[in-house]
Amino acid sequence: MSIKPVKLIVIAGKKGRVTVKYPFQEPIITPEFRGEVEIDPAKCIGCGACVRACPPNALELLESEKEIILRYFVGRCIFCWRCVDVCPVSAIKGTKNFELATDKFTDLYTLVVHTRATCELCGTPAETVRMRRYITEKVPISEEYITTCPTCRKKQFAEKIAMRKVGISELKK
Amino acid sequence: MSLKSSILKKSPWVFHLNTGSCNACDIEILDALTPYHDAERFGVKLVVSPRHADVILLTGPITVESLPKVINAIEAAPRPRIIVALGSCGSGGGIWHDTYSTIGGVNGLLKILKEKGIEVDAVYHVPGCPIRPEALLYAIALIKGIVSKKREMKIYKAE
Repeated sequence: MSIKPVKLIVIAGKKGRVTVKYPFQEPIITPEFRGEVEIDPAKCIGCGACVRACPPNALELLESEKEIILRYFVGRCIFCWRCVDVCPVSAIKGTKNFELATDKFTDLYTLVVHTRATCELCGTPAETVRMRRYITEKVPISEEYITTCPTCRKKQFAEKIAMRKVGISELKK
Repeated sequence: MSLKSSILKKSPWVFHLNTGSCNACDIEILDALTPYHDAERFGVKLVVSPRHADVILLTGPITVESLPKVINAIEAAPRPRIIVALGSCGSGGGIWHDTYSTIGGVNGLLKILKEKGIEVDAVYHVPGCPIRPEALLYAIALIKGIVSKKREMKIYKAE
């Protein structure tokens, strides 16, 4: 019925040692393995496409008066790499790093701080400086109106229409 | 005697506490105990009662239904007690970080434990969805002081 101890020793001797010496050797990782993502601060424009795509909201945009901060919290990341797919400037790269264990909660954060541009006319905070540059590169005609906010743009447009129809701007009165 | 030296001298006995997880992390814990990865090299032993445990392996986003039992289990563990929050759900809440039926990972639990006056000596976070068995071995080696911590908070300034 049961395997005799002598037989067991023979089987174990044939098989040899199977245990990996992991913390003292390199881990065995398959090429398909997905680990933590890495944000390249030199490329990131702070558009927020990754924030929209992220299922568990591990990537977040924190907006304040002068700065937009892209916060990556690896403790909530599920390593789906959707952010890698959607990034328009390919600033996010996937790595195979999984050794993320810490005893401090704040170690899990990665912050990318962006400076915010303001509207030329009313001074309200708008998108990041990098984002503006990226749009101007892609769509050169936007150089004429990129420095103003949408509300001011609407007002300007209405004024122009009024000038054409009435001859004098009604909004200025 | 500091916490670290007291843990180093003896083997960390672990208690596996599932708080509403999808069982992926639980299977990886069992995988870490098999002869291939063999966590018992570090003196790890899976015990059936929290009264015998030094380390509590917490998986899952801690559902509201399981919360009283989780608190009882953690209270039953003797000091110094260490919580190792496994997986994205355990360490940060995962996909369920803002749903009505969970309290959002170990950080929500620590607030409740503080209100009740239950002290926890150290909390280790192990992200991964699910965690690799190697990630768990790395965390155990980190607790015992065999390996050094690699992850740090990074702040980049982009213009």
